[in-house]
Amino acid sequence: MPEIRVTPLGAGQDVGRSCILVSIGGKNVMLDCGMHMGFSDDRRFPDFSYITRNGRLTDFLDCVIISHFHLDHCGALPYFSEMVGYDGPIYMTQPTQAICPILLEDYRKIAVDKKGEANFFTSQMIKDCMKKVVAVHLHQTVQVDDELEIKAYYAGHVLGAAMFQIKVGSESVVYTGDYNMTPDRHLGAAWIDKCRPNLLITESTYATTIRDSKRCRERDFLKKVHETVERGGKVLIPVFALGRAQELCILLETFWERMDLKAPIYFSTGLTEKANHYYKLFIPWTNQKIRKTFVQRNMFEFKHIKAFDRAFADSPGPMVVFATPGMLHAGQSLQIFRKWAGSERNMVIMPGYCVQGTVGHKILSGQRKLEMEGRQVLEVKMQVEYMSFSAHADAKGIMQLVGQAEPENVLLVHGEAKKMEFLKQKIEQEFRVSCYMPANGETVTLSTSPSIPVGISLGLLKREMAQGLLPDAKKPRLLHGTLIMKDSNFRLVSSEQALKELGLAEHQLRFTCRVHLHDTRKEQETALRVYSHLKSVLKDHCVQHLPDGSVTVESILIQAAAHSEDPSTKVLLVSWTYQDEELGSYLTSLLKKGLPQAS
Amino acid sequence: MDPECSRLLPALCAVLVDPRQPVADDTCLEKLLDWFKTVTEAGPSLLLLQENPCLVELLFRVLKAHDPRPRVLSFSLRLAGLFAAQEDCFQYLQGELLPMLFGESGPLGGAAWTAPTVRSGWLQGLRSLAQHPGALRFLADCGAVDTIFSLQGDSSLFVASAAGQLLVHILALAMRGPAEGHPSPQGCDWPACAQKIVCHVEDSLRSTATLQVTQALNVLTTTFGHCHSPWTQGLWVRLSPLVACLLEKDPIPASHSLVDLLLSVARSPVGSSDCGLWETLAQTLSHLSPTQAGPLALGILKLQDCPQALKTQAFGVLLQPLACVLKAAAQAPGPPGFPEGATGDSITVDTFLSSKSACVGLLCQALAHLELLQLLPQRPSPWPQAPLLRAAVAILRFCHGSAAPTSDVGGHLCAVLAGCVRVQRAALDFLGTLSQGTGPQELVTQVFAVLLEYLTSPDSSPMVLKKAFQATLRWLLGSPKAPSCCDLDPHTQLFLGELLPVLRKRLCSPCWEARDSGLEFLTQVTRHWGGQAAFRHALLASEVPELTGQLLRDPESYVRASAVTATGQLSSWGLYATPTGPEHPEVQQESLFTELLHILSTDSEGFPRRAVMHVFTQWLKDGHADVAEDLEQFVARVLQAASQDLDWEVRAQGLELALVFLEQLLGQPGSRCPYAVALPEAAPPATLAQVLQALCRVQLFEFALRALFDCDRPVAQKSCDLLLFLKAKATPCGGPQEAGASPDVVSVEAALQRWQAGEQGQPLGELEPEAVMAVLRSMDLEGLRGMLAKSSDHMEKSPQSLLQDMLATVGVLGENEADCY
Repeated sequence: MPEIRVTPLGAGQDVGRSCILVSIGGKNVMLDCGMHMGFSDDRRFPDFSYITRNGRLTDFLDCVIISHFHLDHCGALPYFSEMVGYDGPIYMTQPTQAICPILLEDYRKIAVDKKGEANFFTSQMIKDCMKKVVAVHLHQTVQVDDELEIKAYYAGHVLGAAMFQIKVGSESVVYTGDYNMTPDRHLGAAWIDKCRPNLLITESTYATTIRDSKRCRERDFLKKVHETVERGGKVLIPVFALGRAQELCILLETFWERMDLKAPIYFSTGLTEKANHYYKLFIPWTNQKIRKTFVQRNMFEFKHIKAFDRAFADSPGPMVVFATPGMLHAGQSLQIFRKWAGSERNMVIMPGYCVQGTVGHKILSGQRKLEMEGRQVLEVKMQVEYMSFSAHADAKGIMQLVGQAEPENVLLVHGEAKKMEFLKQKIEQEFRVSCYMPANGETVTLSTSPSIPVGISLGLLKREMAQGLLPDAKKPRLLHGTLIMKDSNFRLVSSEQALKELGLAEHQLRFTCRVHLHDTRKEQETALRVYSHLKSVLKDHCVQHLPDGSVTVESILIQAAAHSEDPSTKVLLVSWTYQDEELGSYLTSLLKKGLPQAS
Repeated sequence: MDPECSRLLPALCAVLVDPRQPVADDTCLEKLLDWFKTVTEAGPSLLLLQENPCLVELLFRVLKAHDPRPRVLSFSLRLAGLFAAQEDCFQYLQGELLPMLFGESGPLGGAAWTAPTVRSGWLQGLRSLAQHPGALRFLADCGAVDTIFSLQGDSSLFVASAAGQLLVHILALAMRGPAEGHPSPQGCDWPACAQKIVCHVEDSLRSTATLQVTQALNVLTTTFGHCHSPWTQGLWVRLSPLVACLLEKDPIPASHSLVDLLLSVARSPVGSSDCGLWETLAQTLSHLSPTQAGPLALGILKLQDCPQALKTQAFGVLLQPLACVLKAAAQAPGPPGFPEGATGDSITVDTFLSSKSACVGLLCQALAHLELLQLLPQRPSPWPQAPLLRAAVAILRFCHGSAAPTSDVGGHLCAVLAGCVRVQRAALDFLGTLSQGTGPQELVTQVFAVLLEYLTSPDSSPMVLKKAFQATLRWLLGSPKAPSCCDLDPHTQLFLGELLPVLRKRLCSPCWEARDSGLEFLTQVTRHWGGQAAFRHALLASEVPELTGQLLRDPESYVRASAVTATGQLSSWGLYATPTGPEHPEVQQESLFTELLHILSTDSEGFPRRAVMHVFTQWLKDGHADVAEDLEQFVARVLQAASQDLDWEVRAQGLELALVFLEQLLGQPGSRCPYAVALPEAAPPATLAQVLQALCRVQLFEFALRALFDCDRPVAQKSCDLLLFLKAKATPCGGPQEAGASPDVVSVEAALQRWQAGEQGQPLGELEPEAVMAVLRSMDLEGLRGMLAKSSDHMEKSPQSLLQDMLATVGVLGENEADCY
């Protein structure tokens, strides 16, 4: 039996770094190649030694697919391709290919150049890795080789995020990556067609959560920013270069416009231009509203948001600053934080997750006295707020996607074990499909039924059509024909065509049966009685009495003969073709009951 | 242990055992274990436990918990193992705790055992613990070895692999001490624990289940790979007949693991003493399929001491696929020219014909193996360079569809390989490596022809194109010089004539990867041949330099960066003439320097700006004409642009350039540790004053002093180093007269204070060298340097910070949990 095997090297019952190995139809595919930002040694990368033990990586793996640009999904890619030695194709969407190097470069600079971490990739490696990438368009079927094909679907989540269908022959797997089933300010909702894969591998970050409307969170965010600015305070929003930052910018821009606010909003390190560039380039990937208004006005050309200069941080009066990096672990955001932390009037809003060890993590967990370099203690008096704007599907959204794709099996990744357990039960109950949640390193093996494609001859189809039975894709139909297996090909043709093609003569196959009747009369008379009886019973059929004394009903032939040992018994020889099998059986049973007495 | 950590530990232990408190970040427990590992390695664990009774209590309470959380349980198992690695501590814990943790009454039988992390923690705990004879007795008493046997087949790869490794570790530990030496192969004098493991391995080798055979082979591979004691010899004597039996089966089970084992044995001291091993290797080579035999053949050829006959056989295996290709491509019948034994046997031909993926897989593997082999000092000699070249060219032609096959196999290869990117990449890599050797001119011409085909072909994928450029570069640089002069030989010159128009075309490609690969190629080839008359002539006659200049305005930032590097390189060799504008050909456009400076000041992406800084630094080092024209003006303008850059790497590179400038003015320091320069080497005062004047004129001081308080630490560090260098050079000679508390000094110091406080303030304007030197002397640069070395990361990574973070997370985690990027 063919099988599909799935082994997560990361994202198996955790949200650390996604890396999932799938074997399907003899092909091996790696789904995502993420990095864990919480570690500063080799543990940040998935343990690839489990793949390298299968021989040369490039020989073993047929391709790597990256779902989106977040580092927990693509951060280990240059390490994998340039240091571990994978030299095969890498697939991702065009926006992901364009944005990936920026984020990888930002992280590399912090890790290697700032913190002096070793065994990390270089700038050149990032570029060389990106040159191995084959960009895919949405809904375009890409042939990796003769047997393996992939197709991308829109996933929402971030610009360029995609779900991927992987297909070998009739077997298929869909991997969602991270996705969002509700549209937000700049992106649309995830969508997939009813592709009925053998397996759907879905993220489950919010497996048990039904998230409140994003509008509420947005209102909260705006309220907090507005209040701080109104009382003359400064707001710091640490962000990563691309993604959430743009969403929050749109939010503030429209609010400022509506409320006619004057406090300046700044965005650090020239990122607005960069973001603008990418969003303009990939406008088809944004949501409908942005696409529509784009002709009149580009939503990413902000009126109120200006480029930040380091000198501005000292300006008196209120302001809002978006600064990188997002976890307050270095650079400009940390510098501004240190400047503003001492005043109760100011506020820092963390719009995303922070790993342990970072200043962001410390202040979110409530620490207010931070030991900085030189044993200086920084007292944090400013207000600290956490607002999650991460765009993942919630429990409802996940169920919705499973309903859309109609998979035979579901496998949960990128979530916590306990929550996955709950969702697993829900999926199994509601959709009556098996649901799996392997831990990292655990392999799930699924047997799939082999499906063999068969070609149908035009003649046969035409004949079916002639009978008035138009094909309907949604209804299975029974079709009679002859299956020819030749040169590893299967074809269904009419029997006449099969005989002709194969140069064979037709053999008639007839079923025969003997029925004993007590009748002292002569054979001819018995036959006549049979004729009369059948003629009266089978009014819709053509019953004939032939000159040789035999009786026919359609293709059924009945002959009467004397019994060799008992002259008072007559033997009725009944024979029929397989086409009239039903009628033949009926007639036999009828005759077995005997003939009506002559009046 | 740090007293502060010791103070925080009890609270942390209490949190860990509290089921209502979620465990913070999943990395925290890992980091905590890292810390405990360093603590236990640095001092006595027993003392640690006695001073911190909360640790033992933690282990007890986790064990007694009704429904322990898998992650905390796993952590506790590993922690206990770390402590018990020291024998006295092991004794301390052995009474009650260790049997409860690792014995059958422990997690083994509990519900938590279903979690792979617990099983993994159990194995890792035992791995740390198994360091002394007491541990061995403990393992035997609690029946752990049987559990490890069963975990070898665990559903988790991580657990199964850890189980195998633990068995090896226990075996080695058991054989250490009394049994060490030359124990009998029968094992009658082996310790019971070792006996048990070896018997299990034997049973597994006899098994009909491939999985079990694989597990046994993996255990043995690790054993022979890591243990080189004499007892391993006895082990091999005992097990080799069973291993040999595997070869008699059809198909050979677990062939991949079998190959690994045989190579591991061959590399170990056991290999050199067992003649039977070479026979087994030879037998295995002939029994395995061509694809399976490849890695074994390569492994054999890498061995230092191995019989020549076996090496020849192994080399034959690697060459078979290429011999088949040559045979299939041959216009006339004849030997492919490979050594005896590599004639394109029928098994290889069958593999080629069986399926496309088998054919592609075998070819790629053979090419990769031969590529590796070619680079090794122990590669076979004589090396069949010419037939290998022919084979590589033939494969590339098959892939490109330009071969005219005359045989059935050839026709099949044509159909299978046409457009196959995988084989193209492997073959181009291999061809590039072959450039290290020579070949008859007629063959080299073929190589260049096929490379040109790939560079020209519109069907070449970006990755193939990149590899074709790389291979071309290697062949070009490896090509011989003309005998009479040091210029390029006529064939290369001819090829260049054909190559440059292709390069020009590629620089106009709509695909950015192609443009970038073209520019990288141009940079490299110019770096090596910029002085060769023939190359210069051909390049200047082509439009390549002009096109390169146009690519400075490419929409793709990577291409702009490569174009910057390429024009910088061309310009260094005088090969870049500033293009005249197409609209106004009569108007000479701005110089390259101005153009690059414009990129540095305006480009929105970091890559091109960084590339510009690298080019400028190189120009300054080389004394480029544009620089020499007005050195001070050049440095001043570059520093001004770099100082305002938002990318700290550009600012850091600006300081690098400043240092080069400084070195040129003051003389090269002996080492890259400039402030350690010997005193008498310092420049005389008169010169020094001029130098300082120059530094003031280019505003180097303001740039460096501002950078001293840069929010990005590497910039501050670099600046600190630069100023220390200057201080060391200037101070011993007295330098300019003390300036005292002149108004200049006061303003500089005030500015410094503002910058330190993070304010920007106004520029300093014109400075007097005396004031600068006075400020430098008064600054504690060494102290600043020390402080910068201890950054916030230093605090973030400290165990104290970790404990604080874990404790602080208590109670607040609910709202932030399960979030991610």
